[in-house]
Order: sequence, then C-alpha cells, then structure tokens
Amino acid sequence: MFESLENSAVALWVGESLYGYPFMLSLHAVGLAIVVGIFVMRDFRLLGLFPGISYESVDSLKKLAWTGFSINAVSGCFLFTSQATMFASSTPFLLKISMIFLAAICAAIIQNRMRDEASAWDSAGTGAVGSVKAIAVLSLILWTGAIIAGRLTAYL
Amino acid sequence: MESFVTAIEGTAINHWVMGSAWAWPIMEILHFIGLSLLLGSLLVIDLRMAGFFRQINIVATHKMLPWVFLGFGINMTTGILFVFGDPARYTANIGFRFKMLLVVIAGLNALWFWWKINPVMKTWEPHADTPMLAKVIAWVSLGSWFGVLLLGRLIPYIGTG
Repeated sequence: MFESLENSAVALWVGESLYGYPFMLSLHAVGLAIVVGIFVMRDFRLLGLFPGISYESVDSLKKLAWTGFSINAVSGCFLFTSQATMFASSTPFLLKISMIFLAAICAAIIQNRMRDEASAWDSAGTGAVGSVKAIAVLSLILWTGAIIAGRLTAYL
Repeated sequence: MESFVTAIEGTAINHWVMGSAWAWPIMEILHFIGLSLLLGSLLVIDLRMAGFFRQINIVATHKMLPWVFLGFGINMTTGILFVFGDPARYTANIGFRFKMLLVVIAGLNALWFWWKINPVMKTWEPHADTPMLAKVIAWVSLGSWFGVLLLGRLIPYIGTG
C-alpha cells in the first residue's frame, strides 16, 4: 500500500521535482512555528505566566493555532507520500504522529474548558483550575516530544 | 572568508560538534524549540501591535518579551555551534547569508521598537487600535523573522549561488 503511494504522481512530484520537497518543507516549518508557538504561549498563560492577558483573549488565538496545525497536516501528508514506506516503519515518526494526535486532543479539551470557564477565571482572579493546568503541562510535554521525535526521524 | 573557515576548522568546538554523533541532532532539536518560543511569543506581540486580536491587552503582551529573548538566545548559541561545526558549508551558502542579513534587519527593527514604541506603549489604551508606526514595526518584525525561518529551512537546498 505504501509502495504504491510512493509511486503515485503526487509522491513523485514531491520527491523528485526541483521545488516540491523544499516547498512542502518550508510550509511545514511555518506551520510548526504557528501551531507550537501559539499553543505553548497558551499553555504558559494557563500555568500563570503573563498576568494581565485575560484567559478569554488567549482563547481567541485558537483559530490561528489550528491554521498552523492544518498547514502542517496538509504539507505533512505531501512529505509523507515521498517516502511513505520509510516513514510508516520509522519509530520516531510514529511516535511523533501519536504525540501530535494526543496534543490535538489536549487542545480540544483545553478550548472546551476555556470556552466555559475562562471568563470566570478572569473575574475571580484565581487563574486556571488544577485539572486544566495539568492538561497544559501534558500539552507542553507532547509538543516538545513531537519536535524531538520529528527531528530524530531524519537520523534514526 | 577562507581564513575564517581555516581558523574555525581545527578548534576544539569544531571537533566536538563534528566528532559526536549526537551533538548535531541535539542542537537541531534545541534550534527548533528556540524557534517555536521566539516565533510563538512574537506572533502574539506583533499581531496585536499590528492591530489584530484587540481582545488581548497590548500593554500586557510586554510580559512575553523574555521568551522572545530566550528563544533568540537558544538559537544564536546553537546557530554559532552549527557554523563552528561546518564553517565551509555555511559561509558559502547564499541562503545562510541572506538569513543573517534578515537577522540583522530584525535586530535593527527591534531597536526601533525599543526606541519609539516601548517608552509610550504603557500609556496605550489596552484594547484599542495601534498607531501606524507600531503596525509598520510589527509587520517588518513578522516579515523578517518568517523570512529567517524559511531561509534557514532551505539552507540544505540552496547552493552557493
């Protein structure tokens, strides 16, 4: 299955044309900076940093973060096709995808909680509740892990 | 440039970077973490300064600045180690040269921010639109840093021109 994907027209464009691979790689770097950058700042805020920036206003950044996520989902699929068999059997790559999947679930939980509770945290001045802070810590670990595993995919 | 390359080749740092199998991937990981911190905090600060996300208190975005500096510090340190590890490759690379030019432009733009915006920012209305000069500085910042990101990622694909 992965072999036929690797030989598809799309995969050949990504893997063998002059601009296909570097173009997708560039998009992947931009998407990484946006999605990891914004989610990390959101997690820092949930853990009590940047007082003065309201929780409700942090929640307004989620569309930007998911835009970065989508850029990387799409460019990532293109990059995957070019070496599908290698990626599908690479432990660091599979770890990376699992961690991103879990980090996306964390983001979904966090934004549901923020939609319902952010204004209360702001008006009470108490900050995010413990369970949300715990998910923020988990999210930070998962994104860092995804970067580490992603880089190691090129080496192992 | 050649004397610079020969001066670096043979130094202890050069041997350490090239001699250890783990040095290069670990530095790359740190460089990626650094770029996430740098661009993540800058995206919030600059997009607010450009007039977007007005729900965010612009005066409080100031508290994110230490993360800009930390991200930059991590990437400058690992970046210098990359150059020490493989000086011939980087000094000859057109992509790397333009990347460094953009880092300088971003630095001058940051000084511009420090000189013109920083002293008056505290007095701004937290959720209002921003002056034109702030918008210009914000877009120059985003443009130069995302340019740095792209050129950096493309170094392996851009030759010596």
